[in-house]
Amino acid sequence: MSSDSGLLLEVKDLKKSFPGVLALKGVSLTLGKGEVISLIGENGAGKSTLMKILAGVQPADSGDYYIDGQKVDFKNVREAMDLGIALIHQELNLAANLDLASNIFLGREPGSKGFINEQKLHTEATRHLKRVGLNLPSETIAGSLPIGKQQLVEIAKALSCNARVLIMDEPTSSLSQKETETLFEVVKGLRDEGISVIYISHRLGEVKELSDRVTVFRDGENAGELAKDEINHDNMVRLMVGRELSEFYDREIHKPGDCVLKASNVVSPTYPEVPVSIEVRAGEIVGIAGLVGAGRTELLQTFFGVTPSLGGELEVQGVRFSPRSPADAVHAGLALAPEDRKHHGLVLPMTVRENASLPSLERDQNMGILDHSKEKEIANVAVEQMKIKTPSIEQAARFLSGGNQQKIVLGKWLAMNPKLLMLDEPTRGIDIGAKREIYKLMEKLAGKGIAILFVSSEMEEVLGMADRVYVMHEGGISGELQKNQMSEESIMQLATGGSLEA
Amino acid sequence: MKKNVFGIFGLLVTVFVITAIADPNFLSAYNMQNTAKWSSLYGVMSIGVAFVIITGGIDLSIGSVVGLVAVVLSFFTKIQGLDPIVAIGLTLLMSVLIGLIHGLLITKAKLQPFVVTLCGLLIYRSLSRWLTDNQSLGPVPLEGDLGFENLEQILMLDFLFSGQIPIGDFFKLPTPALFLLVLAIAGSVFLRKTIWGRYLYALGNNEDGARYSGIDTDRMKIVAYVLCSFFAGIAGILFAFELGSVQPAQTGEFYELFAIAAAVLGGCSLRGGEGSILGVIIAAAVIRIIFNSINMVGISTHLEFGILGVVILLGVIGDEMLKKKMAERQVAASEKLAAELSEKSKNNENLD
Amino acid sequence: MKTYSKILSLLCVPILGSFFGCGEKPGEEGADSQASFAYVTNGVDPFWDLCAAGVRIAEKEFGVNCEVLMPPKGVVDQKRMMETLLAKGIDGIAVSPVDAENQTPFLDEVAENTILITNDSDAPKSKRLVFIGTNNYKAGRALGGLVKKALPEGGEVMLFVGRLEQLNARQRRQGVIDELLGRPVQSLEQVKYDPVDATNLTTEGSKYTILDTRTDNFDKARAKSNAEDAIAKYKDLKCMVGLFAYNSPSCIDAIKEAGKLGTIKICGFDEQDALLQAITDGHAYGTISQQPWEYGYESIKMLKKILEGTQPENTYQEVSFLEVTQGNIGEFWAKKKEMAELGKSE
Repeated sequence: MSSDSGLLLEVKDLKKSFPGVLALKGVSLTLGKGEVISLIGENGAGKSTLMKILAGVQPADSGDYYIDGQKVDFKNVREAMDLGIALIHQELNLAANLDLASNIFLGREPGSKGFINEQKLHTEATRHLKRVGLNLPSETIAGSLPIGKQQLVEIAKALSCNARVLIMDEPTSSLSQKETETLFEVVKGLRDEGISVIYISHRLGEVKELSDRVTVFRDGENAGELAKDEINHDNMVRLMVGRELSEFYDREIHKPGDCVLKASNVVSPTYPEVPVSIEVRAGEIVGIAGLVGAGRTELLQTFFGVTPSLGGELEVQGVRFSPRSPADAVHAGLALAPEDRKHHGLVLPMTVRENASLPSLERDQNMGILDHSKEKEIANVAVEQMKIKTPSIEQAARFLSGGNQQKIVLGKWLAMNPKLLMLDEPTRGIDIGAKREIYKLMEKLAGKGIAILFVSSEMEEVLGMADRVYVMHEGGISGELQKNQMSEESIMQLATGGSLEA
Repeated sequence: MKKNVFGIFGLLVTVFVITAIADPNFLSAYNMQNTAKWSSLYGVMSIGVAFVIITGGIDLSIGSVVGLVAVVLSFFTKIQGLDPIVAIGLTLLMSVLIGLIHGLLITKAKLQPFVVTLCGLLIYRSLSRWLTDNQSLGPVPLEGDLGFENLEQILMLDFLFSGQIPIGDFFKLPTPALFLLVLAIAGSVFLRKTIWGRYLYALGNNEDGARYSGIDTDRMKIVAYVLCSFFAGIAGILFAFELGSVQPAQTGEFYELFAIAAAVLGGCSLRGGEGSILGVIIAAAVIRIIFNSINMVGISTHLEFGILGVVILLGVIGDEMLKKKMAERQVAASEKLAAELSEKSKNNENLD
Repeated sequence: MKTYSKILSLLCVPILGSFFGCGEKPGEEGADSQASFAYVTNGVDPFWDLCAAGVRIAEKEFGVNCEVLMPPKGVVDQKRMMETLLAKGIDGIAVSPVDAENQTPFLDEVAENTILITNDSDAPKSKRLVFIGTNNYKAGRALGGLVKKALPEGGEVMLFVGRLEQLNARQRRQGVIDELLGRPVQSLEQVKYDPVDATNLTTEGSKYTILDTRTDNFDKARAKSNAEDAIAKYKDLKCMVGLFAYNSPSCIDAIKEAGKLGTIKICGFDEQDALLQAITDGHAYGTISQQPWEYGYESIKMLKKILEGTQPENTYQEVSFLEVTQGNIGEFWAKKKEMAELGKSE
C-alpha cells in the first residue's frame, strides 16, 4: 500500500559486466513494503540482469543490498529465497508430470526421515493455491493446466517459501487477455497482504494499470522515476529512449513500389491448419506483431526455406518461389536476420570477417578459391557502414556485444544486396545506441527500395517503425493495420484474438 | 590459428629429443626413414578424418575401409588379374561410394554419424573376410596367380606406393611420405583457400548458423565423409603395398582410433569447427614416434597404449589452456575498446 | 561361380553386399544321423584353414559332421560361439582356448554339457578330457635349436610375438630362451617363466643374448615396425625369431628393406608362404611346423572315440612337430599347398 514503514528492499550502486559488455553501470532500486513497482526500459537496459542478480541466479560485480535497513549478502538462489526474494521466471519451471502440491514443495517436502507427510503436503499446498485464487485440487497434474494457471502456481510456490518480494519478469508475454486480468487481481490481492512486487514488462498499458511507482532503466543506468500520478505513456517512453519518440524512430514514408514478396495461403508446419497470406512491397517496412508463440518466427522461417511450406504459393517479384532450404531463399534475393542471433544468425567462434563474408563467398569465388581481398572489403564495409565496434575484423564474433553481433548479421546480408530483408526481433538484447543505428539502417534500406519485413514484440518498435503491420494470433493473421490505425490497444486487441470492431 | 600448431609442434620436439637422448640409434637414417614412412601411412588417414571432425562428425569405419580397400585391391590384382591401374581406380571409386553412402545416410536419413559409421565398421570388416574366405593375400601376385602376367606393372606400383627414393648417400625417402605431402598440401588448400573449406569450418562451428547463411550444409557434410573415406582408401592402398600381405580380419583394425587420436591431438575439436591439417600431421608423427620410442627405449609393449593415452591427454589439456589464454586476450581487447569508446562519447552512443 | 557373384556384389558395396552371400553357406541338413562336432579356433588365421583340412579328412574317414568356427574377437567371440553351440546341441567340441587360465570356469561349464577337448593351446586346469597339441615348450626348444644351428658363433637374438597372454606363446618363448641359454629342460606341467618384459637375458657361458620380446597384438603393421625398430636399435642383432606365424614374414620384409639379408638370420614358427619362400631362397634359416592338419585330424578322431565310449588314456596327446629347413622345404611346401586347398573355408 504505502511505504511509510520504511523500505523493504534497497539496492545501491550495483555493477555487473559480461565479456565485452558493461550490463549494469551502477544502478539503484528501492522497494517499499506492500508496494508494486514496475521496472521498465528498452531491451538491453539491464532489467533482466538486475533481476537475476536479485534472485541470486548471478552474482553482481559490486554493490550493496539492504533488507529492512539491514545490509545483507547472498550468493545463490537458495540464500535469496531465505531472505524472501523469489523470481517468477519468464519460462515456467514446473515439473510437468508432477502434481501441484509436489511442485509447490519440490525439494522442501514436509515430513521426516525421508518420508513425505502427504497429508500436510496437500493441505499446505491447497492453502497457498487459494492465496493466488486457484481453487483446484492439489493433486492436479501441473502439465494439464493452461499457461496462465501454471504461472499462478509458480507464484503460490514462491509464497510457500514466505517470499516477501516477488519478481515477475514479463509474466504476461504468453497470457491471454483474460489470464492477464486474473493475474492482476492476484497481484493486487498480494499487495494488500503486504507482499511487494517488482514487475517487469514491455506493455506500458499494464504497467500503468498495476504500478504504484515506475523505475526506468536505460543502458545499464537509472534513467528516472515516475510517481503514481506521473505514470503515463509519454513520460515512460521519454525516459526509456532518452528523447522524444518521433526523434528516435526517424521514419519517412516512401511510396511503395512493386510487390516483392507475395504469400498466398502459405502454411507453416507449426500451424498446419492456418494458411497465411501477406505481401510486402519494395521500399515498405512491414511489421508483424503478436504474442510470443503466435507463429511469427515460424512464418519468416517458412519464407526463408528453413521449414518448407506445406501449401500455398510464394512469389518473389512475381516469380513463383518454393524454397527447400535457406540456400534457395538466398539465391532468390531473400535475407533473414533471425531471432536467435547466437545460434542462427552467426557462427560465433568465427571472426567478423568470416561471418560478414559467409553468404557472399559463393558469389565471389574463383573456381572455388576464396577471394581474400573481396572478403576483407566486405568486412570493412560492414564495419564502417554499420559502425560495428570491434578491435579488428579478425576478432571472433562471440566477443562482441549483442548490438555489434546484430550489426554483423545485417552487414553480411547487405553485402548480398537482398530484395527482401526479414528481421526477427531485430533489437532484442541490444543497447540503445545500436538500436538507433539499426532503425536508421532500416529506414535507409527502405529508401533504397528494399522491402523490409520485421517481427517484433516491442510495441514501441512496431508503432515507431512499421508503415503497415500484420498482427498474428495462433498462427493466423488476425488483422492488418495501416499506419493511421496502429495503436497499442488495436494491436493488443488483435494479438489476443479479438477483432477491432468488438 | 598458427599458434594452435605451436603446442603440438612443441610436443613433437619434446618426444623427439627425449627419444634421441635415450637411444641415439633413434636418429639413424634407417630409423628416421621408418618413422617417416609409418607417420605418413597413418597421417593420410588422419587427414581424412580431420575433415569429418571439423564438421563436428565422426567416422569410425576408417580402419575397416582401409582393410576392405587393401583386400579388394589385392583380390583384383592378384586373384582376378585385373589391370592394376583399373584395380586402383575401382577401389578408390569404392571408397568414394562408401563415403557417399555415409554422407547420405547422415544428412538425408538424419542418422547419427556414430551409428552409421559404426555399422560401416562392422559391415566392411565382414565383407573383407567373406570376400577372401578370410585368407591372407597381398597385392603382388605370385606365380600361378591370374594377376601374374601384370607382375611388372604391379611391381612398379609397388615401388610407387611403398618404395624408397635415395636422397644423398644415406637417406632414402619412403614414397608414402610423398603421398602425404601432396595430400596434405591439397587438404590444406582445400580447407584454407576454398569456399568449401570455409563452409566446413562454419558448419562445424554452428550448423544452423551456416545454413541460415545460405550454405547447403548437407552437401558439405557429404563432401566431408566422401573425403574421409577417400583418404582411408588411399591409406588402404599404401598399407596393402607396404605390408605385402593383407589379413582380412586384422588389417586396419582400430586404425580409426589412431586417426581420431591424431586429429584430436592435432587440434581438432570433436565439437567441430576447429583444426588444421598441419597440426593433424604433426600429431600423427608424434603418435608414431611414441610407438617407435617405446621400442627404442625398451619400455614394455604392454604399456604403449597407456603412454599414448597419457600423452594425448596432456596434449589436449595443454591445447585447451592455450585456447583459453587466447580467448582471454580477445576479451581483453574488446573490453579495452569498450572502455575507450565510452570514455570518448558520453552521449547515448556508447557501447553496451 | 562364387567369385563371379562376389564381384557382382562388390559393385553393390557396401550395403547390398552384406545381404547377398550370407545365405550361400552350406546348411547342415542331412546330418541327423551323423555325430556332429565343432572345431573352435582361437582366432582367424590361415593356420586354422590348414587345421580345417585335417578336420575335413577326418570327417570323411569317420563319417561325422564338423563345423569349423573362427572367433574374430578373442575371448568374447569364442565364448559366444561356444554358447551358441551348446544351445544348438552338439556332440563334442575341440577348442583352442584364447585365455586358458581365465576361461577355466566357462570351459568347465562346457565340459559338463558336452565332450570337450582342447587342441593347439591347453587349459590344464579345466575339465576338458584331453589336450591334443604340440608340446609348445618342446617346440620352442626345437626352435631354439634352429637358432643355434643358424648362429653357431652365438650372438644377439630378438623375439617377436603377437601377444604373450596365450599359454602356447609363453611356453614357446620359454623353450627358445631355455634352449639358447643352455638351461635344463623343464616339464610342461610346471614351466617357470622369465618375466614378459625381461631384456638382455643371458647366462654365463652362453654365447646367446635374448635382447627383448616385442608384442604387436596381431597388428601386422605393428609387427613390421617392431622389427624395423629392433634393426634400428640393435646394431649387432644376429637373429630374429618370430614365434607366431606372421611374425617371421614381417621380420623378413623389414630385414630385406634394411638391406640386411644374410646379416640377420631368421627363424620362424609355422608355415606362411613368405617364410617358406625365404627358406627356399636361403634368406631364412628354418621353421618349426606344427603340422596343423594333424590337429584337426587328431581332434576329430579323438572326439569320435570318446563319443563311442572309449575314454582317453592320458590327458595329453602330443602331436609331433616338424623341423623345416632348406633340406626338406620342397616336399613340405607341396604338402601344405594340398592341405590349404582342402581346408579352405566353405
